[in-house]
Amino acid sequence: MNKSSVKTIDIVQKGLKRRYRVERRFRRLGLAAIAASLIFLMLLFVSILGNGYSAIWQTHMRLDVYFDPQVFKDVVVSSADYGRLVKGALRSVFPDVSGRGELRKLSAMVSSGAAFQLREMVMEDRGLIGRQSTLWVPADDDVDMFFKGRLGPESGRLTEDQLSWIDHLKERKMIRKQFNRAFFTAGDSREPELSGIRGALYGSFFTLLITLAISFPLGVGTAVYLQEFAPRNRWTDLIEVNINNLAAVPSIVFGLLGLALFLNVFGVPRSAPLAGGLVLTLMTLPTIVIAGRAALQAVPPSIREAALGVGASRMQTVLHHVLPLALPGMLTGTIIGMARALGESAPLLMIGMVAFIVDIPHGFQDPSTVLPVQIYLWADSPERAFVERTSAATMVLLAFLVIMNGLAVWLRRKFERRW
Amino acid sequence: MITPGIIMIALLLMATTGYYLGVRRSVAAAGGRRLIRNLHSRPTYYGLLTALWCGLPAVTVFSLWQFFDTQVVAHLVISQLPAEIENLEPSHISLLLNDIRNVIARQGSLERIDPALQAAAEHYLHLQRISNTALFVTIMALSMSALVVVRSRINKGLRARNHVEGIVKGLLAVCSTIAVFTTIGIVISVLYESLRFFQAVPVTEFLFGLKWSPQMAIRSDQVGSSGAFGAVPVFAGTLLISGIAMCVSVPIGLMAAIYLSEYAGKTFRAIAKPLMEILAGVPTVVYGFFAALVVAPVIRSLGVTLGLDVASESALAAGLVMGIMIIPFVSSLSDDMINAVPQSLRDGAYSLGATRSETVKHVLLPAALPGIVGGVLLAVSRAIGETMIVVMAAGLTANLTLNPFKTVTTVTVQIVTLLVGDQEFDSPKTLAAFALGLLLFVVTLVLNVIALYVVRRYREQYE
Amino acid sequence: MKFGKTVKNTAAAALILLGSSSVTTAGDARDYINIVGSSTVYPFSTVVAEQFGKTSSFKTPKIESTGTGGGFKLFCAGVGVNHPDISNASRRIKKSECEACTENGVNEILEVKIGYDGIVLANSKKAPVLKATRKELFLALAKEIPDPSGGEKLIANPYNTWKQINPALPDTKIEVLGPPPTSGTRDAFVELVMEHGAESFPWIKALKKSDEKKFKSVAHPVREDGAYIEAGENDNLIVQKLEANPNALGIFGFSFLDQNSDKIQGSEIEGKIPTFEAIADGSYSVSRPLYFYVKKAHLDKIPGIREYLEEFSSEKAWGPEGYLSDKGLIPMPDPERKQFQEDVKTVKSLDPGQLK
Repeated sequence: MNKSSVKTIDIVQKGLKRRYRVERRFRRLGLAAIAASLIFLMLLFVSILGNGYSAIWQTHMRLDVYFDPQVFKDVVVSSADYGRLVKGALRSVFPDVSGRGELRKLSAMVSSGAAFQLREMVMEDRGLIGRQSTLWVPADDDVDMFFKGRLGPESGRLTEDQLSWIDHLKERKMIRKQFNRAFFTAGDSREPELSGIRGALYGSFFTLLITLAISFPLGVGTAVYLQEFAPRNRWTDLIEVNINNLAAVPSIVFGLLGLALFLNVFGVPRSAPLAGGLVLTLMTLPTIVIAGRAALQAVPPSIREAALGVGASRMQTVLHHVLPLALPGMLTGTIIGMARALGESAPLLMIGMVAFIVDIPHGFQDPSTVLPVQIYLWADSPERAFVERTSAATMVLLAFLVIMNGLAVWLRRKFERRW
Repeated sequence: MITPGIIMIALLLMATTGYYLGVRRSVAAAGGRRLIRNLHSRPTYYGLLTALWCGLPAVTVFSLWQFFDTQVVAHLVISQLPAEIENLEPSHISLLLNDIRNVIARQGSLERIDPALQAAAEHYLHLQRISNTALFVTIMALSMSALVVVRSRINKGLRARNHVEGIVKGLLAVCSTIAVFTTIGIVISVLYESLRFFQAVPVTEFLFGLKWSPQMAIRSDQVGSSGAFGAVPVFAGTLLISGIAMCVSVPIGLMAAIYLSEYAGKTFRAIAKPLMEILAGVPTVVYGFFAALVVAPVIRSLGVTLGLDVASESALAAGLVMGIMIIPFVSSLSDDMINAVPQSLRDGAYSLGATRSETVKHVLLPAALPGIVGGVLLAVSRAIGETMIVVMAAGLTANLTLNPFKTVTTVTVQIVTLLVGDQEFDSPKTLAAFALGLLLFVVTLVLNVIALYVVRRYREQYE
Repeated sequence: MKFGKTVKNTAAAALILLGSSSVTTAGDARDYINIVGSSTVYPFSTVVAEQFGKTSSFKTPKIESTGTGGGFKLFCAGVGVNHPDISNASRRIKKSECEACTENGVNEILEVKIGYDGIVLANSKKAPVLKATRKELFLALAKEIPDPSGGEKLIANPYNTWKQINPALPDTKIEVLGPPPTSGTRDAFVELVMEHGAESFPWIKALKKSDEKKFKSVAHPVREDGAYIEAGENDNLIVQKLEANPNALGIFGFSFLDQNSDKIQGSEIEGKIPTFEAIADGSYSVSRPLYFYVKKAHLDKIPGIREYLEEFSSEKAWGPEGYLSDKGLIPMPDPERKQFQEDVKTVKSLDPGQLK
């Protein structure tokens, strides 16, 4: 009887409560870890959204512009003084404003983009000269910030007079917020109200295209060779150490390499997506190779043995059976690598992609910048309104990342399997 | 007009034709569709072999041609121009060529074009046309003859599969050498400047010096402080910030990975995992601003309420944010590794009556450990190499301290500040950046060799 | 057949890629202006570039902010399409840099002064305005200061709060965020504030005449014990850090103060508040000239350089009423402006003999 009292089942049951407690705690810890990282993510997104959502709108003013033939006398249409037309239109709204200082303050309320807009209109249709036309032009960034409530009247950025003029415009319904088209169609600009992300988007697109086109085949090729074919010798050891090490090299060092190799030796143009893409290729390659090898390694040896057993060659085994099974994992790695490349800015500093570029690039050789660098540049700009644009550009960038991750999820969901 | 693009398309067509001709030829050699089994390899391989031979040599010629063609054409154009131009310095000739190309593109200011330039431009175009035509002919001839030769060799006994596999394997091996060339490139570009740095500053002082203050004269006519190039505080700062980052990311990342792979339902996993991976994709610039503008002030004011002296650029802020950034690296890789542990091990543990957490702690983690260590090391190197966050949130002052509330600086920050900005390229100050880069490179190399050893030593092959 | 397809697709992709990449390396013409240089001049030259790009048939110039010294390094590397056409600078070109240019075949350079920029010390609007002299700033920021108990001896800077320097100053910790030594702004600050501050001690002033090197080694070093925080080149970040920490002061260009005047305020130096007018008439003494340099060899080879110069030197750009003054550039006095306008028209070469 004595002996039966210490049956194994009793020991087990005695500890069971404690073990279940530990189990619950462990589980809760895991959930807490996920919750913590998601909270960080939320915090990040909320602070960016809070700063950036208002960039969807841009304050515009209605102007009745008289295309005074006097202005176009004796000059080419392309170089006429369009600013004068804008000033004239403003003065007709506020006839009692006089004095040079006051007039300057008045015309400062409209963006310098208004003159460009008029120029474009006249260049398209010369018949406008001598006629009256009503149009909405972007307001200056300070007015925009004030109108959106991001700049208090006490800030000192706008004078008393200007504030009263804005009130006057509001009463006459001559000022309103409308969809900010320029943000999606324009390139960089020094005027926040005229700046857009299209140039940076195109630059990012071209750069990533090069990176993907080179790094994916190269990365998969390297991973397959090292994991499946390479003999285990010093040379492959060296390659393996190299790849692992390259994954740890600071991105800025790749920038230095790009400067020395691509720009100075191969003569790739500075600031071009081609140079940026090549540098980012070298940078993402190790990530793809490491992920690719992990994915290949996760394919059980039994698959290989079975294929070899029915008479497939090693190449056939790998390409027909192992690679397709490992491909989802490789794609996940590639997407992570591309996401990293999309957000990278430090190495591009060295190859001249941190530059003021207004024109939208149309090829691999046009000077261009990329989205994160655009964010960095805007963050560095003194104009207050750029804070909003910076956050908005970040939102766009994050949207792209979400799409890329969505793609990864879809891929993984479709192909994931457990051995 | 024949452009390189057209040549490429023609080549592609050529290769496709080669493929089908090869297939047909092999079928014919076997004596018809039904007798394919008589062939050494399947017909596809004969097609591929033909296509590869059609394509690869031609592509090589094409690339080489494109590489030299510009110089040759430019040289010929210049030699046609008046003698005084020919004797110009090379740099001026490049400007002249630019002018000529602009004329061709009709983008130069048209009123300033002089007839000689116009003629040169036409000559240039003419030569380019000739060059492209010649290239087209050469490449077509090359791939055509390859096609004919390979096709004539196709017979029942040709070991086409072995040939093709050999070529593919060769290409794969070439791919894998890129990494070595990249490393060699980095070492050469960094080592050269570092050696010059060590001529000015002794290696021992750099490696063991306890003071980092590169505020020495950067121009001959400027006097700064006495420069001190001891890298220890810089590396200590890097390690402090990385350490904080790892303290945040390893527990959170590992626990998240365990939960995702062992506890979470399918839907939860499908939502949570990609959401977490977004953290890795958020640009570092954004993290930098987040650290400097949200996290640092919060930590500072918290420190003030607790009566601690917290610098506005504390290591804690940068480390925390960096840790957040690295979580998905750790979790994603650990998750993959845990998933890779065969189900049979789990089943074995469960059947012995282990709870899930016990299975994880005693079976899965030890089994996946080498992979996890690899992932963590990858994360460490990412932390050490991270630039933007520390540039924005950590300071520039090199303090030798372990106090996370103080300002420290990191290697990458120093590299950036030393290289970007007012510089004279030969002063030890600028060269110091390269020396730091070299040291960083060496440190990560050592780290990885150790990691590789650990992984190899403890790796177990399942099933 | 799967295997065939994989190889075929890869081969096709590789072919196309090789084709496109080799096509692109075949040298294309450059039809835009390439500008490098100072981050202080950057905001001004970008405005001009944009105006120029939008109102002419030329492409908008590409502008990189590399720092003054970095700009000269690229600029002086040689003549040719791969080298920049124009370099912006927040100080005059040095003789050594000019010699480097000549060595690489960059012989004829056009120098254009564009205006002035004030260097300001500023703090959060939540705190009172700091009123200091250059001597007090020197005492607060120098690494070593003359022994307060007298004698021609230097001691490590003992001051922790402003009040210790002068009882009239606030009783707060000395905490100044400023540019690193790599910055042109730091150069100017040291030259305009620290040197003047040091000269208020007669024996140091005497040193300037007898042993200039020694003088500089006294006047230039900035303390490294945490009171002066090197805050990097991102001036915006400094502004935001100042807002978070009302006790701290920041050093940066006037244009940043101008743009953020709702958050921060300029400190009084020698009794003068930094305002546009005070810097323009010279009564606010801490200001420096800004320049850009043009390679003459590129003038007719790269389309648009002449027109860009014309735009920059027009009254509507750099005049007192011009759009650059809206961005915070302090215009030159009339005769000086006329002089440089003339230089631009005649493309006057820089005389290396004038440099130091």
